[in-house]
Amino acid sequence: MTVAADLGKSLDTGKRRWRRVWESVSVIFRSRVAVVGLSIVIFWVLVAIFAPVLAPHSPFAQDSAAINKPPSPTHPLGTDHLGRDILSRLIYGSRTILLLAPISVLCSVALGTLLGLIGGYYGGLVDEVVMRILDAIMAFPTILLYLIIISAIGPSAFNVVLAITFVGAPGIARLVRSLTLDIRVRDFVAAAKLRGDSDWRIMFVEILPNARGPLIIDAMLRVGYAIFAIGTLGFLGLGLPPPTPDWGGMINEARKYIWTNPLGVLWPAIAISSLVVGLNLFADGLREETTRYQ
Amino acid sequence: MAKYILRRIGFMLLTMLLVSIAIFLISEVAPGDVARHILGQFATPEQVELLRDQMGLDQSVVVRYLDWLVGNDWRLWRLVGKPLRYTRVGQYDSPSWYAVEADGTLKQWRMKKGTGLVEIRISPDGKREEFLFEDWQIAEDGSEIFWGVDTADHVVLWRKGEEAQKVGPASAGRTMTEASGVEYYPLRKGLLRGDPGISLRTNKPVGPTLVRRLRNSFVLAGIAFVIIMPIALLLGILAGLKEGRAVDRTISLFSLITTSVPEFASGVFLILLFAFWLKVLPGAAVFVSDVAPFMQPKLLILPVLTLTLVEVGYVTRMTRASMIEVMNAPYIRTAFLKGLPYWRIVFKHAVRNALMAPITVIMLHVNWLIGGIVVVESVFGYPGLGMYMLDSALFKDINAIEAGAMVMVALAVGTQLVADIIYTFLNPRIRYT
Repeated sequence: MTVAADLGKSLDTGKRRWRRVWESVSVIFRSRVAVVGLSIVIFWVLVAIFAPVLAPHSPFAQDSAAINKPPSPTHPLGTDHLGRDILSRLIYGSRTILLLAPISVLCSVALGTLLGLIGGYYGGLVDEVVMRILDAIMAFPTILLYLIIISAIGPSAFNVVLAITFVGAPGIARLVRSLTLDIRVRDFVAAAKLRGDSDWRIMFVEILPNARGPLIIDAMLRVGYAIFAIGTLGFLGLGLPPPTPDWGGMINEARKYIWTNPLGVLWPAIAISSLVVGLNLFADGLREETTRYQ
Repeated sequence: MAKYILRRIGFMLLTMLLVSIAIFLISEVAPGDVARHILGQFATPEQVELLRDQMGLDQSVVVRYLDWLVGNDWRLWRLVGKPLRYTRVGQYDSPSWYAVEADGTLKQWRMKKGTGLVEIRISPDGKREEFLFEDWQIAEDGSEIFWGVDTADHVVLWRKGEEAQKVGPASAGRTMTEASGVEYYPLRKGLLRGDPGISLRTNKPVGPTLVRRLRNSFVLAGIAFVIIMPIALLLGILAGLKEGRAVDRTISLFSLITTSVPEFASGVFLILLFAFWLKVLPGAAVFVSDVAPFMQPKLLILPVLTLTLVEVGYVTRMTRASMIEVMNAPYIRTAFLKGLPYWRIVFKHAVRNALMAPITVIMLHVNWLIGGIVVVESVFGYPGLGMYMLDSALFKDINAIEAGAMVMVALAVGTQLVADIIYTFLNPRIRYT
């Protein structure tokens, strides 16, 4: 973005700004695929927000008289191997995943942005060292990184976020670095240097805001991937520790009883699939529409 | 080109070295004691201490890493005073460490309860004899000691008169651990000399298990690959040619949905559909240990199908995007204007260029594929490398994790190199220097 564009933005007041926001939002509604995807995502977000209202039981309440039962009026989706209500666990499970996924993406964006800005802005030896290390991490099969990290530090919500942050950061760092390399030679950065701004100020106030577009798109795509990863970790027994309602973990626990209670694995599998599919439909529809008009 | 390949291989080895160091350090800071983990909750502190000593865990992390990497017999033979050799005696014996005499006799020592230290001699013609050991040396403090090799691959310091004790029954197939020595150093050949060590989980050498598991995974991935490629390329080309039409929309939507569904979820759907409701296929892959997976093809169907579902969409999308780009290229328009027949343009001019991108992207995709295989193997209980890694990681079996990680990193980085080389052959305009 040049100085003229910056100037234009500051003149952009009130009504005009709202119209621009509306124009960019309405792109979503031009794509049927994006609308379907967004509806699924919004559905789960609402479920997560109103979980205490929607859930008929506590997700932790065990009923030893009703173990692995098929659906009934009191338990609409049946019960699991400890007699817990599957519907309630499913509803509260949406909270877990919709909270952890964005947090871990935010953390990896923060870490990746920092590394990418430093590497791209300073260049030279700093850049070389940072990028070589990140290349080595990216050469690792992702699942192996998860396995090693989680098995070493133990499964917990914090550690899952930590692992996803660590695995996701190199990709973001590369993106930010390439954007920074492009932006740092622009005139307004030279002007900031002449003004005597500190390196940190130039990086975060001058360069970063101009790199936000691709960064936001990348981060959005990563939320879907983070949900995928949290589900997989839960399924492998490396996710959140047992009593927490977590879709991947629910499948992991219920699959021992798959022949007696097939619905116990079916519902959480449908839930996580629908959420990831919804997010990807939304992202893909949006990408299709925005590239069509460029 | 040769220089470029050499440099890349050098980079690969460097990556593997860094990875192995990183894993060692991570497992070092990880909470929990491996010896305690192996022996279980009810082991006494003495037993745990002894096993730690026998496993060499009382040595510093640097020493242990170097032992793991390059072995330690070249260092430890000085204690014994004789060269050490890792060899198998009979055709069916598992290999073991021996001290070698000048005349070729192999020797091991064993503490026998009630009798004392026994020397086992195996002469070059295979004759095996046991003698009561008498050749004690006098240590500085006056006690009688001896450094030898025991029957479980340790260099051991024995002291005369010490009672042989036993470490109690333990988990993980490690029934009884003999404890008669004062000090232990586990003998290792080192990864660089082809020995990844003993699995802490199964108490068996990692190498042969890893090879078998890797073969099983290759069978699974190979069959899936053979099915995925033609389907995905065909669908991708078709969708690319009919961009924006109903065919394209259907294929694109189908591929987006199948790639989005996590492997464990699609695996569950397939098991429920084919094994539970239709009852036509077995829902779990149960293999008798030594039977190769391709001997029971029915067990392979669902794992392969799951992998196919997840991967086919990805390759389809890549092919489609590449096909669209090529079909909009000026040389294709020229071909149309020249009046060439449609199918000739598509197959002779467009497809060849359009397939370049997917082929390399697929190779770069191996990282992702490995993840998919770990999950699919876990869903179906398929005895492949992924399951082995998962079980080892959950047990903190450092030797197995290290060896498996080396294989996986070599595969991931190696395929990237192969992709780059294939790319230069497909596209002669690219030259690496």
